[in-house]
Amino acid sequence: MVTSATRGAGPFVAPAAILSLLVALVPIAFILYFSTMEGTSVEPFRTILKSSLFHRAMTTTVVVAFWASIISLVLGYIVALHLARQTARRRAALMVLVLLPFWTSILVKSYAFTIILGREGIINSFLSWLTGAQVALPLIFNRFGVMVGMTNYLTPLIVFPVLASLLAIDPALYRAAEVMGAKPIRIFLTITLPLSAPGVLAGVLSVAVMALGFFIVPALLGGRQDLMLANLVDFYTREVLDWNIASAVGVTLFALVGIFAIPATLIRRTKGRIAS
Amino acid sequence: MREIELTSIELKDVSKSFGSVFALRSTSLSVRKGEFLTLLGPSGSGKSTLLNLISGGYPASSGRILLNGKDITNAPPRQRGIGMVFQNYALMPHMTAFDNIAYPLRVRGYSKDDIRTKVTDALARVGLTGFENRKPKQLSGGQQQRVGIARCIVYSPAIIMMDEPLGALDKNLREQMQDEIKILHREIGTTFIYVTHDQEEALNMSDRICLMNNGGIVQLGTPDELYFQPISRFAAQFIGESNLLAGSVDDAGDLRIATGYSLKVPDHRGLVRGQRYEIMLRPERIHVARDGQGEVTPATATARGTVVGVSFIGSMTTLAVELPDGTLLKVKSTSLPAQNRYKVGESIGLRWDPEDLVVLRSED
Repeated sequence: MVTSATRGAGPFVAPAAILSLLVALVPIAFILYFSTMEGTSVEPFRTILKSSLFHRAMTTTVVVAFWASIISLVLGYIVALHLARQTARRRAALMVLVLLPFWTSILVKSYAFTIILGREGIINSFLSWLTGAQVALPLIFNRFGVMVGMTNYLTPLIVFPVLASLLAIDPALYRAAEVMGAKPIRIFLTITLPLSAPGVLAGVLSVAVMALGFFIVPALLGGRQDLMLANLVDFYTREVLDWNIASAVGVTLFALVGIFAIPATLIRRTKGRIAS
Repeated sequence: MREIELTSIELKDVSKSFGSVFALRSTSLSVRKGEFLTLLGPSGSGKSTLLNLISGGYPASSGRILLNGKDITNAPPRQRGIGMVFQNYALMPHMTAFDNIAYPLRVRGYSKDDIRTKVTDALARVGLTGFENRKPKQLSGGQQQRVGIARCIVYSPAIIMMDEPLGALDKNLREQMQDEIKILHREIGTTFIYVTHDQEEALNMSDRICLMNNGGIVQLGTPDELYFQPISRFAAQFIGESNLLAGSVDDAGDLRIATGYSLKVPDHRGLVRGQRYEIMLRPERIHVARDGQGEVTPATATARGTVVGVSFIGSMTTLAVELPDGTLLKVKSTSLPAQNRYKVGESIGLRWDPEDLVVLRSED
């Protein structure tokens, strides 16, 4: 569809398009090529489908991504609700706080969590001091650690799309509902929630897409049971040195991400059409 | 006792300030049951503040608000049982017309059958039968506001407040809906408080108009009183068009204006000899005629002047007439075809009835 906004966009879009073609599509083509034994067989896919390690990593990936998205949604929605109620100036200031962790490398943040959550980390030391007994809660190298690390990273990605849809709600709707006698809970359930649904959906899908591909967090904060597909790719590439299997796992992950990424893009497009 | 029964809403010394800025100076107002009261004034006059205080949009800084004799000063909006129609409709965009109108009924826990009956009834009343499944976006502005009105009348609130409800509509539709709202008010008999900055709308619809300016009430009265008996310069200028003349009271009790004319004023009560007063004369109350034509003859003319401006605006023609001393009077008369129309430079006679002179007794 050519609109006045898209006409003549070629020169502006071309540099970025060419760059992403080179750094993304070409490697992906190589991975596809490797995963099919240079295009001769689907043996690597057969191998991983029979591998219990792959099955476990696949299940872990889906389960972890699911819960990380849900927890991020709940936490992010609450933050967005709070931000939407502030004055524009206060909101701008608080937004910096939401973005602050975003400006820190995920590697640095993950190491920071090992200090906070570790056996002799800040939390356990504090609890030991408080109770006078040796406390060593298992907060790290397990699913809990992975969830903490991932939701910490993903929550801001929920806050922004949800906040945008909350701010788009006409404040007069709240006044009208109040005058008609509605209590705050009913107002939330009948107005706030349904009208912020597009933001929620966009946020959750993009968070899910990111969560599926997590690598550093499960590697640093997870245990042996928290191997995700990205870690499995790493395992086959560097430990087993079987690049065909590694590529097959990579292609599978790519397909999995596609399942979420495609509806996310579609939603964004319909939203844009409604807004225009 | 009878007084209380007839009063729908009463404001006692209510004021509202934001920080050190007064949005509403101490105001008392009593609205009768079943009355159509319009709050009229320019933006920033305090009319929206007054509306918000009654609906519970924000708390009053001082004073008390009584609804049917019950103190609602500090009651949350949902407990006041008031209905409100908004300028931008404030319809739930994700709900159909039916669900929008059913909203206040569902809040009140009505049964499914009752809701269907009442909503169908309300839709019929505003002429939207058959539109129940449309979303607000699929309705025109006028239809959306009809849904807004239906959503309000459906739960029979004690008073219905309308905040510039026709402000977003074009002129023809606005006039049509003014009449519809008037009829609706007559049919349901609920107290209406209507906010507008459009004087014609206020004159057309109201039982009483509460004219506001600078965060206070300027004049409260029937449309006739406001138009024919304005008490101040602001009231005279805000409603309708006016000529303002200043003069002082002479020994005969007449008003001697700067032009040298002595004007008989209809009501001498309270006029102090030697003091300056302002008087108002509506442009359409001045009769003009060429010498020797019609009812204005040199003998009966109140004044003589020269036409300095003519604007033909349809049914009426506005003339600017300069009196010998330079005073400009605006005159409105029925339009005549171009060949008979008054021309710039023409000398004409003017006449008006002393009854049409209104002494403005109040300072703004």
